[in-house]
Amino acid sequence: MTTVRIYVTYKPSVFDPQGETITNSIHALGHENVKSVTVGKFFDVQVEGDQVAATVEQIAQELLVNFNMETYTYQVLEEK
Amino acid sequence: MKIAVIVFPGSNCDIDLYEALKTVCGADVDYVDHQQTSLAGYDAVMLPGGFSYGDYLRAGAIARFAKIMPAVKQMADSGKPVFGTCNGFQILTEAGLLPGALKKNDSQSFVCKTVPLEVVNNQTIFTSQYQEHERISLPIAHADGSYFADQATLDELEKNHQVVFRYAEENPNGSLNNIAGVCNRAGNVLGMMPHPERAVEAILGSTDGLRVFKSLLENGTVIAEG
Repeated sequence: MTTVRIYVTYKPSVFDPQGETITNSIHALGHENVKSVTVGKFFDVQVEGDQVAATVEQIAQELLVNFNMETYTYQVLEEK
Repeated sequence: MKIAVIVFPGSNCDIDLYEALKTVCGADVDYVDHQQTSLAGYDAVMLPGGFSYGDYLRAGAIARFAKIMPAVKQMADSGKPVFGTCNGFQILTEAGLLPGALKKNDSQSFVCKTVPLEVVNNQTIFTSQYQEHERISLPIAHADGSYFADQATLDELEKNHQVVFRYAEENPNGSLNNIAGVCNRAGNVLGMMPHPERAVEAILGSTDGLRVFKSLLENGTVIAEG
């Protein structure tokens, strides 16, 4: 079983209103050294068998990501 | 002309749409549950506003998998009128029946107010009773209504006159090109964030939305009778 974490965020070219709002709030706390925040979501997916990368890419393409405005990356958290 | 109003779990403007068509316009209209698989016998289909499937994942993303959706796609592909307002618009983009996507409002707030709009294209089956460039006012009520598409798609939309409604005076959500409603290339699928079904009687404060349905009934009857 492989546990994969898939991260979905807006594309860099797309305005991220939540990230902007949170950045402003962090500045209000006095942390002027924080230059930007990107907000996204993650999905921990457990996949059986050896078709892990293909499966992850397929579900990202077909469901988890709206490629009009979003992009994704993923990392393997655990293999056992 | 027979019209279907699809009811998804979490739809909350289905009754508004149904009553606008039935009570106000006298149309022949039915509720059709999302678990149905056929739209045989219907000449047009309407996707209502609301929060289908709790807006899980993205607004409209899960409704795409409803059992009724292949039949909706078939209606769209066969040139029959398909209309989505608010969440219905989000579903149509997620289902690939309209270009672009609806993202979170730039303001980060749920926006609920009546906004001025320009009817940009009055050559569609949904807008033929409006004047070109006519200024109307319709209610909006959404958190994820910021229309987004890449530049090439926006250029195509503008070139092909697929922008049907534009926000006038103010842009309430950050939509690119002030887009409030777009149609597909063929013109038979329209999605819009504003709610025409909430502006169909004077007692509601406005009748500016009524002609969306009147246009559809006028033109749709012609299409249905071939």
